[in-house]
Amino acid sequence: MSAVATAAAPNQNQQEDGGVTQNTARVFDEVLLEVKDISLAFGGVKALTNISFDIRKGEIRAIIGPNGAGKTSMLNVINGFYHPQDGTITYKGQVRRKMRPHNAAKQGIARTFQNVALFKGMSTLDNIMTGRLLKMRTNMLLQAIYWGPNQREEIRHREYCEQIIDFLEIQAIRKTPVGRLPYGLQKRVELARALAMEPELLLLDEPMAGMNVEEKEDMCRFVLDVNEEFGTTIALIEHDMGVVMDISDRVVVLDYGRKLADGPPDEVRRDEEVIRAYLGVGH
Amino acid sequence: MSTTNLPPESLDTFPKLLAHHVEVRGDRPAMREKDYGIWQTSTWKEVAAEVRDFACGLAALGLQRGERVAIVGDNRPRLYWAMTAAQALGCVPVPLYQDSVAEEMAFVLDHAEARFAVVEDQEQVDKLLDLKERCRTLETIIYDDPRGLRNYDQPFLHDYEAVQKEGQTFLKSHPDFYEQAVAAGRGSDISVILYTSGTTGRSKGVVLTAAGCINAARDTVAFDHLNDRDQVLAYLPPAWVGDHYLNYAQGLVAGFCMACPESADTVEQDLREIGPTFYFAPPRVFENLLTRVMIRMEDAGRMKRALFHHFIALAKRHGEKILNGEKVPLPARLHYALGELLIYGPLKNVLGFSNIRVAYTAGEAIGPDLFSFYRSIGLNLKQLYGQTEAFLYVTAQPDGAIFADTVGPAIPNVDIRIEEGGEVLFKSPGQFQGYYKDDENTAEALTPDGYVRTGDAGFFDEATGHLKIIDRAKDVGRMQDGSLFAPKYVENKLKFFPFIKEAVVFGHERPFATAFINIDMEAVGNWAERNSIQYGSYQELAALPQIYAVIGENVEQVNRDLAQDSKLAGSQVRRFLVLHKELDADDGELTRTRKVRRRIVNERYAELIAALYDGRTEVHASVEVTFEDGRKGRLDGDLTIADVETFPPVQPAIRQAAE
Repeated sequence: MSAVATAAAPNQNQQEDGGVTQNTARVFDEVLLEVKDISLAFGGVKALTNISFDIRKGEIRAIIGPNGAGKTSMLNVINGFYHPQDGTITYKGQVRRKMRPHNAAKQGIARTFQNVALFKGMSTLDNIMTGRLLKMRTNMLLQAIYWGPNQREEIRHREYCEQIIDFLEIQAIRKTPVGRLPYGLQKRVELARALAMEPELLLLDEPMAGMNVEEKEDMCRFVLDVNEEFGTTIALIEHDMGVVMDISDRVVVLDYGRKLADGPPDEVRRDEEVIRAYLGVGH
Repeated sequence: MSTTNLPPESLDTFPKLLAHHVEVRGDRPAMREKDYGIWQTSTWKEVAAEVRDFACGLAALGLQRGERVAIVGDNRPRLYWAMTAAQALGCVPVPLYQDSVAEEMAFVLDHAEARFAVVEDQEQVDKLLDLKERCRTLETIIYDDPRGLRNYDQPFLHDYEAVQKEGQTFLKSHPDFYEQAVAAGRGSDISVILYTSGTTGRSKGVVLTAAGCINAARDTVAFDHLNDRDQVLAYLPPAWVGDHYLNYAQGLVAGFCMACPESADTVEQDLREIGPTFYFAPPRVFENLLTRVMIRMEDAGRMKRALFHHFIALAKRHGEKILNGEKVPLPARLHYALGELLIYGPLKNVLGFSNIRVAYTAGEAIGPDLFSFYRSIGLNLKQLYGQTEAFLYVTAQPDGAIFADTVGPAIPNVDIRIEEGGEVLFKSPGQFQGYYKDDENTAEALTPDGYVRTGDAGFFDEATGHLKIIDRAKDVGRMQDGSLFAPKYVENKLKFFPFIKEAVVFGHERPFATAFINIDMEAVGNWAERNSIQYGSYQELAALPQIYAVIGENVEQVNRDLAQDSKLAGSQVRRFLVLHKELDADDGELTRTRKVRRRIVNERYAELIAALYDGRTEVHASVEVTFEDGRKGRLDGDLTIADVETFPPVQPAIRQAAE
C-alpha cells in the first residue's frame, strides 16, 4: 500500500462510525460556474493546461491532485487572482472578463486560504465583521462617528455575524484575538469570515490540513451544514481522501496542470489513471 | 437586599408557584439566556405564557396525566419550561444526562416508559432515533433547536415552536384547560424522577413528590435568605439533583432569576457577565480557578505581585474572622478594606464572584487552604452535604460557623441519626418516595421507621456539633482495639499537602495505622531544583532523606489534627514509607478515575505492608511494572521506613479550656 492510501485509511473508519457521510447521490442540474479550456502559465511554467469542468449550484465539488498539480492555481483563477492566458470562465451564465478578486467577491465568491490568512491581532468577531465589509453601505465618515443609519447598519451586520458564530459554535472565542487561537479554531474563524460574505460559491483551500481526526470531523460537519442550511455551493481542495470521498458530490482530479478525471467519488476512486498518479496502488 | 418572602404554603406544585410569581412579580426577570451574544431576559409573565402554550401543545399531541416525559439537553430555558409544562399537566419530567452513552439512555427511557421526549438539538434527536427501536414506548420527539433538522421528515418529530403554536390553537377551543390542569395538581403528585448517574451499577430512578421538593426548597431558601433579587447561573447538568434543586426548585420558590450560559465553553465568561448572587461548584472548580490565578500572578509585574502577596497574607490573618463577624482590631479592618479595594474586589470581579452572597461546594473533600483562601478574600463559601435521595440538602453550614472539615449541622426540619456502624441516616421533608419500579433497592435504602441510609459513614464533631463525613460506610474499618478506622479521611488529609500526590493508609484489624506515600513529582522536583538538590529519577527523588523529613512533618501534622477527634485519634499514622514508583492505572493500582484499588495494592505490596508492621527500618521492594507500550519489567529498590510521632487524643473539654 502506498503512503497516500495509508494516510487516507483512518478516515474510512469515520464512515463506519456513522460520522460524516453524504449517503444518497444528489442530483444537480443548474451550472453555477463553468471553466473551459483554461490554460495558465508563469513564464515557461505551465500551471494549468486546457482545464474544463463545471460547478453546479448546490453541490460540494472537490478538486484533488498531488502537490503541484495546480489545485490552488485553479482556485486563484476562479476568484480572479490569476488571469488565465487562455479559456473562458462562465459564472451565473455570464462569460467573465478579466476581473479583480474584489469583483469576484461582490459577485458572491468567497474563499479561505491554505495558510490561514486572518488578522491575527484582531478578535474573532472583528475578523468575521470584515467579511461584511462589501455589504456595508454607509461611508467611512459616518462609520467613524457611529451614528444614525450607520449604527443601525452595524447592528444588523453584527447580528448576521452572531448567527454565524452560533452556527460554527465559536461563542467562547468571540472576543479572543485570533493569533492566540489554536490552528483548528483559526481555520473555523476563517470559514466564518467567508460565510459572513453570504457567498453563493465558497472556495475552501485545504480546510482540514493539519487537523487531528476530531477537528476534521467537526469541520466536515460544518461544511455539510453550510451546504445544507444556506444552500451554498462549495468547491474544496483537500488531500484527505477519506474526507473527499465522504462529503463531496463530484470530484475533479488534476495532475501536472492537466485534468485526469471528473465524476462522482466512487467512479474517480476506481479510475486507473487516478490510482496510478495519485491514490497509489496496493502492492 | 430585601428579606425573604416565601410564597404561601398552599402552593404545593411548581406550576402553581409559577402562577403565583406572575401575580406577585410578573415583570421581574425569571430567566435569562444569551442569544446571538446578547442577554435576553424573560419575565415571569413571559415564562408563564411560554409554559402554558407548550403544555397545551403537549396536551394537543396527546400527552396524558401521569405520564413520564424525558428531557434531554443542556441548560436551555425551553427545556426548563418543558419541565414545568409537563408538571402542569400532572406529568413527570425525567431529565437525562445529555452526554450519557446510548446504552444508559435507552435503559432510562425504557425504564421510565416515556412516550414523549423533549430534546435540545440534532445531536440528541439522532441519538434518540438510534434508540427508538429499543425503546418500545418512545413515540414523540420534540426538539428545541431546528438546526440541521430541516431534512428530517419523520412524522413523530416536532419543532418546539410548532408545538407551542398548536398549543395556542388548542387553547382557543379549550380556554380553561391550562388553569384546570394546574389546579388539579396535588402536592402528593410525583414532581420529578431523577436517575442517579449509576456509578454503582444500574441507574436508579429517585421519585420525588411536589410537596416534598417545595418544602425542602422552602427550608433552604429561608436558611440562606434567598429572595427575588437573587440571580443564579444554571450551568450544571439539569439531570443532576444539584441543578434541579439549587436552580429550578429554589428559583421557583424564591422567585429569583435563572440565567442559562450561552454554551458549555462560555460558562466562565457568562459567570463574569451575570455576576450571580448564589453559586455552587464542586471543589475541583475552585481549585482550578485558584491555580490559574496563582499562575497568572507569577507572570505579573513585580509591583503587582508584591501587592497581591501582601494583601493575600493579610487576608489569611483577618479575612475569615471578618467574614464570620468576629472581633478584629480596627487598623486591621482598615487595612483589609484597602485590600478589598485594590486586590480582593478586582480578583472576585475577574472570577465572576463579585455579587455572591452565598456559595456552596460539595461532593468531595475540600482542602483547608483552598477553602480558607476563598473565604479570606470575602467569598462566603460554605459546604453542604446531601444526595439525590434527600433532594439534595441533608446538612449545610450556617453563616458564621464554617469549618473546612465538616459539612455543618442538619438543616432545619432534617433529622440525622448515626447508626452503630457509623452510617449516617436521615429523615427530611424532601426525601424520596422510593426508587421508581425498584422495591428491592427501595427497601434496602429505607429503615423500617422511615429513615434513609446514605451509605456514608460519619459522626458529629463534639466541639462544633457539625457532621463530619469520613468515607463510604463499606470502606470504614476497625482498628484492633475496636476504634474507628477511616482510611480515605486520613488519605485526603495527607493529599492536601503539596508534596503528597497519593496516599494509601492501612490499619483495618491492625494495632496501628501505617501509610504508603506517593510524592508529587512536579511539586517535589520543583522544590529540589530550587534547593539545588540533584536527582536522577523518580525513585531517587522519592528516597531522599530531605523528602522523608518533609513528609514526616506532614504526617505528624495530620496526626495532630486527628488527635483532636477522639473518634479518629486511633487512625493516626505511626509508620510510613515513600513508594519508589507512582501508583498507576496501567498496573491496576488505580482506577481510570484515579481512585486507589486497595485490594490490588494489598496484594502487590504485601511484603512492604508486612515490613511496616514488623519493625524493620528498611525493606527491599521489587514490583512488576507495565510500560506504556505494554511491555513489562521489574522495578527494584531499597525503601526506608520512617516512624512518626503520634499524639494522645485531646478531650474536647480540655481543648475548649485551652482556647
